[in-house]
Amino acid sequence: MTALGFAFMRKALIASTVVCAVAPLVGIFVVQRRQSLIGDGIGHVAFAGVGLAFLVGADPLLGALALTVVAAVALQRMRRGGLGGDLSLALVFYGGIASGFLFASRTGSGANSLLGVLFGSSLNLSWGQVGAVIALSAAVLAVVVAAYRPLLALCFDEAAARVSGVPTEGLALTLTLVVALVVVGGMHAIGLLLVSAMMVLPVAAAAQLARSHRTTMLAASLIGAASALVGLLAAFYADHSPGASIVLTAIGGYLLAAGAKRVGRRRRGGQR
Amino acid sequence: MLEFDQVTFGYGRVPVLREVSLTIHEAEFVALVGPNGAGKTTLIRLGLGLLEPAHGTVRLFGTPVRGWRDWGRVGYVPQRTSPDPVVPMSVEEVVRSGLAGRLGLLRRPDEDQRRRLAHVLELMGLLPLRKESIGRLSGGQQQRALIARALVTGPALLVLDEPTTGVDAAARAVLTQALEHLVRRERVAVACISHDPSAFGSLADRVLEVRAGQVVEVAGAAAGSSGPVTPAEPLREERS
Repeated sequence: MTALGFAFMRKALIASTVVCAVAPLVGIFVVQRRQSLIGDGIGHVAFAGVGLAFLVGADPLLGALALTVVAAVALQRMRRGGLGGDLSLALVFYGGIASGFLFASRTGSGANSLLGVLFGSSLNLSWGQVGAVIALSAAVLAVVVAAYRPLLALCFDEAAARVSGVPTEGLALTLTLVVALVVVGGMHAIGLLLVSAMMVLPVAAAAQLARSHRTTMLAASLIGAASALVGLLAAFYADHSPGASIVLTAIGGYLLAAGAKRVGRRRRGGQR
Repeated sequence: MLEFDQVTFGYGRVPVLREVSLTIHEAEFVALVGPNGAGKTTLIRLGLGLLEPAHGTVRLFGTPVRGWRDWGRVGYVPQRTSPDPVVPMSVEEVVRSGLAGRLGLLRRPDEDQRRRLAHVLELMGLLPLRKESIGRLSGGQQQRALIARALVTGPALLVLDEPTTGVDAAARAVLTQALEHLVRRERVAVACISHDPSAFGSLADRVLEVRAGQVVEVAGAAAGSSGPVTPAEPLREERS
């Protein structure tokens, strides 16, 4: 395949596929808790972290990681302090985007570098960045595998989980932290504004057809990886933006799954 | 088994429960009835340590609820707010999720726990449906799956919050039968909240009404005394 003949495409494919396969493994719990936009909020904070890193001359990945971890803890505290999910998220969301732009404008960073962070620049990845993406994804995978059962109980019914002895407070914080890791991991490959879509869309697609949580999770991961592969190759041949192409491919996957579900219902003589 | 000793609670300045004292005994079915907003759910959440009383003590199996750790001995089925999950979950996954507190990280269910899982699925008539998505089941079947999840650790106390909401008469009869088996055969104590006093009337050993911040025994078939179990001083405001 011509695309794989280029080193930049090989790096982009590895990083994007890994992130998009792992993101739904976290996204499934976020969707289940009806917090689909939390990744978006954290993405905006990561933008502030990148801006701050530009300002002090640090690695943007580290800047994003530091501020998203702070935001994850702050979100948890705000919720416990009585600020509803939407309001606490909005505060983080707008605070992040405003600070990020302020920091970046102070350093005089070019529009291209900002756009690359917001919408992804997977074709410009270094092998070091690919390694960081793999390391962050591996950390996320390890947490999800270890805490799968408690996370499932938490997300299905928090009150019942708490009474059954699940440490719900710590677990909810852990979930927000792994969302932050996914966002930072997908920053360069997919983009801060688009990576949260890859947590949610593959799950929405898989949920159309699956009957169990485990099947939904595995199918969502496969759909995520396939969207990265197809989207990136489409971007290469059609000369599109890779991040946007991957997300649009995932939306296509959702529409296909929803259509298949509808056809299945009609065949079984169901409604619609 | 579950004991409230002079428990008072309010949301901010709004009093909800005042000096409530009551005990739920082993293998006893207690129905907690009362209108919406009377404080039934608040009472139960205090009993489970989900809320802190302003005054008084709550004890589970003789231990103050704050220090209680053996949560596998308590099963809880909260009032449902959404009938089906956004993400599909099979009945077996829902029921097995009740073991999460016992298993912690990485551990898999042992032989006894797997046997218990099969037992509660069978008890609730869900064995043939165990691979089905819970979202595709009827309201009664969903409720039985949630009760099975609460029972999977083999609790001695089961707390149900409005288990008959959205459940038709036939499914309610099946549910009643299963609960009767639990109380009479498996010696599980059940505290069941319902806004409908007739929901489990025949099964209940005692029917307690939560009204104006107090708990009043309105029927005591097996457990004896009737009449107020807390001081009969009405509150000006109430909230659930």
